[in-house]
Order: sequence, then C-alpha cells, then structure tokens
Amino acid sequence: MICRGFVVLEREMNSSFPRAIRSTISPSSLVFKRPKPPFFAALSRSISVSSMPTSPNPQIPLFLRPPKFSSTLSDLQKWQEWAKSIALSVGSKFVDIDNGPDTILLCRELKWLLEDAVEDKSTVPELGSAKNGRLVRLKADIEELYVLWKQRIEERRPFQYIVGCEHWRDLILSVQEGVLIPRPETELIVDLVGEVVLENKGLGDGIWADLGTGSGAIAIGIGRILGSGGKVIATDLSPVAASVAAYNVERYELQDKVEIRQGSWFEPLDDVKGALVGLVSNPPYIPSHLILGLQAEVGKHEPRLALDGGENGMDDLLHLCKGAALMLKPGGFFAFETNGEKQCEFLADFLTNKLETSFHNVKVVYDFAGIQRFVTGFHN
Amino acid sequence: MAQTLLKWVGTSSRLFGSFKPALHTHGLQVQVPFQRQIKAFTLSDRGGGGAGGYSGRDFLALSDEQLMGQCEMDTFKASGPGGQHRNKRESAVRLKHVPTGIVAQAVEDRSQHKNRASALARLRTLLALKVRNKLNLDEYRPPLELLQILPAKSTMRTSDCGPQIGPNNPKFVLGMQALLDLIFAVDGSISDAAKYLGLSTGALSRLILSDDSLRMAVNELRSSKGMRPLT
Ligand SMILES: C[S@@+](CC[C@H](N)C(=O)[O-])C[C@H]1O[C@@H](n2cnc3c(N)ncnc32)[C@H](O)[C@@H]1O
Repeated sequence: MICRGFVVLEREMNSSFPRAIRSTISPSSLVFKRPKPPFFAALSRSISVSSMPTSPNPQIPLFLRPPKFSSTLSDLQKWQEWAKSIALSVGSKFVDIDNGPDTILLCRELKWLLEDAVEDKSTVPELGSAKNGRLVRLKADIEELYVLWKQRIEERRPFQYIVGCEHWRDLILSVQEGVLIPRPETELIVDLVGEVVLENKGLGDGIWADLGTGSGAIAIGIGRILGSGGKVIATDLSPVAASVAAYNVERYELQDKVEIRQGSWFEPLDDVKGALVGLVSNPPYIPSHLILGLQAEVGKHEPRLALDGGENGMDDLLHLCKGAALMLKPGGFFAFETNGEKQCEFLADFLTNKLETSFHNVKVVYDFAGIQRFVTGFHN
Repeated sequence: MAQTLLKWVGTSSRLFGSFKPALHTHGLQVQVPFQRQIKAFTLSDRGGGGAGGYSGRDFLALSDEQLMGQCEMDTFKASGPGGQHRNKRESAVRLKHVPTGIVAQAVEDRSQHKNRASALARLRTLLALKVRNKLNLDEYRPPLELLQILPAKSTMRTSDCGPQIGPNNPKFVLGMQALLDLIFAVDGSISDAAKYLGLSTGALSRLILSDDSLRMAVNELRSSKGMRPLT
C-alpha cells in the first residue's frame, strides 16, 4: 500500500456537472487478472493530482446520469465476470481484517452496480447467456466500470460512493465523499416522528429541525410526513453535506418544506429559538479512540466530522441535549440517535435527572438489531 | 406488488414488531419501538399443517400495519455496535407471523424499508397458499375477490366484477386464497371446481397454470390425493 497516488480520469460525460473520479493505484492491483484493453486505456489517459477537487456542484448518482455510453453485451459480460472473480477472491479476508464485507455482499453490490449502470435493467439477466454483439446503453463508460470496481475492492471505497446513492426508506439519496452514507438504523427516527405526529396533529404543522443533516435523509423523511403547515430546517457544518442535502431536497421537490442552513448545531437557528415543535439529530457519536479500528469503508472514506464524537463519543450529543430545552416549544418532541446502550442510559438519566424539570416521558428506543439506539422525549 | 408496497411505505407507522419485552431500569422507561397489536387469534392449534382453526381471510383482510403488528421481525442479529460504525447493508428482513408461524423473508432489496415491504407481500402470498378456510359447498357462491381473478367468460361473473385481475396485481392473492379454498373443498378436482365457477375445466386449468405458486399448491394437493399434476 505504498506509492499511492490519486488518479483523475478526464471525463467527457456530464458536461453540466464537471466531476472527477478518484482512484488510487497500488501495487496490489496487479494481483487481479483482468481483460487488458479497456482498463489500460483508462489508465493511460489519466493524470496524477494530489487531492480531490472541491466540487461546487453535487455529483449526480450513476443511475440518474444519461445513458451516453454503450458496450456490447459480451464486453459487459466480460466485465461482470472479471468483477465477480475479484469479489470471489476476497473470500472472508475483509471480514477477518475489520469485519468488512464478505463475498456474498460484494456480489450483491455488483448486481446493483450493474442495475444502476445499464439503461435498461431488463438486460441484466440476459448477461448470463450473452454470446452476441448486441449493444447495451450504459450510464458510465465500461472503462469507468473497471476503475470503479477496482476502487471498491482494492481501496474499500464504499459501494454507495461508487454508485453515488443510497437506498434509504423509500428514498434514493445522492451521496458522495464528504457526506455520511445514511444508515438503516436511522430510518427509524422518521417512524418515531410519524408516530408522535399521528398522536398530536399540532406537531405535524410546526417547525422541526434536523441537526447535522448529512445527505438530508432524516429531514426529507420527516418533510414527507408533515402536514401542510409543517416545515423542517436542516443544518450541517459541512458545505459538501449542505449542498448534497439541497440536491436531494430538490429531487424530492421539497424545497418549500425543507430548508438547508449551513452552520454549527444551533447557531443557524437563532430565529426559531423556543419555537421548534421537534428536534432530531444523528450527531457524530463514535468515541475518538475507536475511529482507527472502524471497517475501512467507514474509517478511511467517510468524513471524520460525521463520525467522531470526542473522547467518549458524547460531546455533540450532550451539546444537543443541553440546547434542546432552549430550542423546543413546551410539548415539543426530540429524538437523538446514539452509539448504544451506554450512551442511551447516560443521556436518558441526564435528561431526566440532571436538567431538573425540562423534559418528560424520556425513553430509550431499540433499533431493529435489538440495540438501545435512540433517546426520545418531550419538553415540559 | 409494487403498488401495495408503496402505499404501505408511504403511511408507515406502527410497523415494527417488537422482539424484546419492555424493561424498567434505573427508573427510566425503556421501550421497544412500538407495541404489537396482536388480536385474539388462538395460538394453540398451530402446526396442524398450517391450517389451524383461524380464518386466513381475516389475515389477508388486515391492513399492512395490522398484519405487521402480528409479526415478529428480525434483521440480522446485532454483530457489533451497528449505526455509524457499519457499512454493510444489513438490510435483510425476516418476518414471523405469530398466529400461524409462517415465516417470510426478503434480502435482495437495497433498503431495509423495501425488504420489509417485500417480506410482507411474500407473507400475504404464503398466507393465501397455506391457510385454508372451510367452505360449505351446499350454499357455495364464489366471493367477489375470486370472481375478479376469473376470465371474463365465467358465467358466474357479473359486470360489477370489473376486468380480470392478474397475478401481478396485489389483489390477486385474495382471489387465489378463495380459489384454493374451493379446490381443497372439492378434493383437488379441477372439473368440480370449474362447475362452481361457471368455467370450463380447461379455462380453470389455464388460470391455475398462470401463476407458479398457485400451480404448485394445487399440484401438491393433487399428488397427496394420488391425482396427476396439472401441466
Ligand atoms: C452521523 S452524521 C449524520 C448525517 C445524517 N443526519 C444521517 O443520519 O445520515 C453527522 C452529521 O453531523 C454533521 N456535523 C458535525 N459537526 C457538526 C456541527 N458542529 N454542526 C452541525 N453539523 C455537524 C456532520 O457533517 C454530519 O453530516
């Protein structure tokens, strides 16, 4: 893993959204057999730069790009076989190193990558029997597909960054480097909000805040269940996150319901102090010393700003708990995601006993895997 | 299928079966996401070939939320801290329908939400296939949901049945369940069943063959009675 360098492929696609594909090349790339021509052609056209350009425009997920490219069915099949053989060669290696993905998961991802890359998904099953030169329209050059899958395996670049999106609840959210990939556990926050809104219609017509919105996942999920008077203000310190969240909000046509503001936690919310009916957040909560040991997809590729919660992981959660009483209206609801049992219990105790009479009905809620994951409650 | 799923996805609430009892620790209320709303279905005669004493029609008439409320749901068992620590798409869902013990799962979708919806749709199909309702053949009239999946040439069909519902329509499972009830009541005889439905034997056979799970359920019954399978 020495002599790493960044490679930027010159791309002619997406003229309206100039972007670069990052790829690091390492000696281990030589381990994998692959059909030569397309891949080397890609490499020889590349130039080296040392850092990722900051993109003012968010990237478009693969599945939404125009099908400007084409390949024969048999060339695509060759790519698929090559990609599959690499995935198979991984075996349990990543699981052993850092509890990363296994072959089964990688093969499933390969299928999804293919589904996102072809114009017409129904061609995917035909691949197995493809012996012909029929052309398939693609959303990425086949050369790029080689590069992308190499990144997936050799660099452990997260699958969601490769395809530029994550399926979350019934949404497909654009994500890219610099923005946390929303987790399945977090889907539950939207259901918790749905539950309280059903029980108390007033909450559905007020102002909510989603702090540290990342891709905008929670804010968009909530925006879609609020009543006509309801609104969500979503904030993030990261400019990349703010622009990706704005892109996702627009894609779901929620500009009137979800407003993105850039800034640190409560700072951009001065004008709604004491006026919020709801406050939700999935702030960074991993204790700093655990960051190094994270699976490569997370630790090496997702933004530290989105993960690192300080010494015991609760720096941001405590800040949010302390501020919640000032921000929420009487009767307002809050829900925070946490690292698990320890943080849940600590925060529930803190909110119930250490802040005197500020909150009632403080609860700890389990996630789907049976882990205590959320703290919820109401402002008095 | 997609239609029911979307509807369900859009109105999600009370979707989660709990799999841990509520606990009280440190004077705080520790809660599972939502309480299950198990109704008064007897659990005692479970295992009797899946048939039991309860009405399968009742299950299929439930809304997605209500049906989900009768299920226990597991995802993969927690294999670590989860949440921000993980990127592994542990989104597979397994639903166990408590009153019948029927299990449905889905792993292939890209979000947990969709896997839940797929598992639930699959559960509906399994309920239709495995839970039988007793019929009184003397007073038998095909119910509307069955008439709706019959071809237009059925003489029992009236104009208010609407166009024929095919296997891709989520309402098909209701009709399929009613059809299986009838075929079981006549011990697997397609010609007898066809008479009750105002169809030729050939037309009913074609309908049965049009859906794989329906065909397999009918052929399983027929082979248990020593009859030739439909092909
Ligand atoms: C764990 S991520 C959650 C993202 C998104 N809400 C989700 O659930 O997928 C935490 C988010 O908090 C943001 N963040 C970190 N420090 C922040 C701060 N001081 N103010 C606002 N947002 C912050 C990060 O940029 C990141 O997007």
